[in-house]
Amino acid sequence: MATRAWHRTREAIFRMLAYAVMAIALFITTFPVYWLATNSFKLDIDIFAVPPVWFEFSPTLKHYEAAFIGQPFLIYALNSLIIAVATTIVSLIFGTMAGYALARFHYPGRWRYQISFWILSTRMMPPIVTIIPLFIFFNFFNLLNTRLAVVVAYTAFNLPFVTWMMKSYFQDLPPELEEAAMVDGDTRWGAFVRVALPLARPGIVATAIFSLILAWNEFLLALILTQTDRSMTLPVGISGRVTQYTTHWGEISAAGFLASLPIIIFALIVQRHLVRGMSFGAVKG
Amino acid sequence: MRERMADPILTVPTGSGTAFERWRERHLRILMLAPTLLLLAGLTLFPTVYMLTAAVQNVSPDPDVPREFVGLGNFARMLTDPELHVAVRNTVVFTVVAVTLEFLLGLGLALLFDKYIRRLNFLKTILLVPMMIPPIAVALTWKLIYQPQFGVLNELMFRLGLPSQAWAGDVNLAMATIIAADVWEWTPFIFLLMLAGLASLPSEPYEAAQVDGASAWRQFWDLTVPFLKPVIAIALLLRIMDALRLFDLVFILTVGGPAGATETLSLYIFKVAFTFVDIGYAAAISLVVLFATVGFSTWFIKRMRLAD
Repeated sequence: MATRAWHRTREAIFRMLAYAVMAIALFITTFPVYWLATNSFKLDIDIFAVPPVWFEFSPTLKHYEAAFIGQPFLIYALNSLIIAVATTIVSLIFGTMAGYALARFHYPGRWRYQISFWILSTRMMPPIVTIIPLFIFFNFFNLLNTRLAVVVAYTAFNLPFVTWMMKSYFQDLPPELEEAAMVDGDTRWGAFVRVALPLARPGIVATAIFSLILAWNEFLLALILTQTDRSMTLPVGISGRVTQYTTHWGEISAAGFLASLPIIIFALIVQRHLVRGMSFGAVKG
Repeated sequence: MRERMADPILTVPTGSGTAFERWRERHLRILMLAPTLLLLAGLTLFPTVYMLTAAVQNVSPDPDVPREFVGLGNFARMLTDPELHVAVRNTVVFTVVAVTLEFLLGLGLALLFDKYIRRLNFLKTILLVPMMIPPIAVALTWKLIYQPQFGVLNELMFRLGLPSQAWAGDVNLAMATIIAADVWEWTPFIFLLMLAGLASLPSEPYEAAQVDGASAWRQFWDLTVPFLKPVIAIALLLRIMDALRLFDLVFILTVGGPAGATETLSLYIFKVAFTFVDIGYAAAISLVVLFATVGFSTWFIKRMRLAD
């Protein structure tokens, strides 16, 4: 009896401990985001206040006005949006077909493994390693400081991810429905377009959102490929203002928070697919 | 990355349809793969070939100066370049410390929550935020927190009665500030993957172990760890590959400083290529980094049997 009582007490202690740890983890996770968000709505006097102003400040949209009307952050945001959408469309068209071909067709020997692995291995290239040749390459075709160059580069970087994700979604679909369509006289391509694609729609949507997020967040390649106000993406624009001697904390906080906001919303939508997305389709969460 | 049994739907060339349709059906497999393979080949082969040629040459920033063949000279320079050695050491230290911390914290939290807290969806939603928002926003946020004059961290030090610090501006603390920001950003990633792994564990072996009277500790080492091994391997591989290419955080928080204390390989290559405009040397370093990372990941994937 004594041991059972001790056991119950120990369980209760562990449970309390778990809740306490969760509270701390939540605080540590959310506080920095709260801080960025509130700083973007604070007057300069409150941003620089010592001790810091935690809760009570008179909110202002001044920094948003300064960043998006006075400074060209609106153009950067538009560039980021156009690049992210174009990258996603192209890499999804290419990657969905490749993922399907790898999931469904028959290959001699270990070719399926070899091709899949090679596609993944291109992703292992650190971006820093490819930026010099990419810079020279796009310079040669006079494409530096264009959104097209960024879209081409991002598509190549997103394709391994999209291909592996779509391959994993197609492998989850039962092939019988496509077989039935073909028995009914549809072609192989017709079965892909009319049967497999609609069934894979949730996977396609999740993959598209991941691709959008990857392109929206990318920094290093954009830093090399876009240097002008007309072509610059939002992360590059923000970084240019951070490293200057006088940092306009309010304005860059506003730009940083606004760059994060759509991502937070998107992340909520793909929540269910998150683990699979973060692991290239390897872990099904 | 474990592959299921392939489903062998073979292309059956149908006799009907237009000539184009018959041609398309016959070559469908390669036609569907071709756009991806061609684009990836173009954007990996060209850089590799370019770097192989640039690495053995002295490339002047002035395009009118002809390139000069220097053989393995650029590679020899790497052996005696102290700044490069510092960058390599910083990158390795960062990767080992940050990934270890993220792994231990992520796994620990996952084990605790899996056992004691059932309603995790709300929590998962919150934890998504650090790793999904733009890394530049993460760096910016931590720059605000570390700011020596009005930053929150020095306020905390003050409340605790400790002396204020320069944080990212202090030679001894700069690397720690980068690691802390990275741990904040990526621990949720390990946590979520481990949680997914734990949720997929079969229950029978645990019931059997219970009957045999195995301790919780024994159950963890003999059942949980082996079952989780594939998930752990994937999580570690992805984190290590990402940590080795660290750029965004240092670019914003310290620009490699102070005195090179946080200079990573990515940042050093960036500087050699675009500040010193020494393309030949940058290409040589890039090639070594490329072979090292691809070699490591291939070895890791084969060893862990991740792609079979």
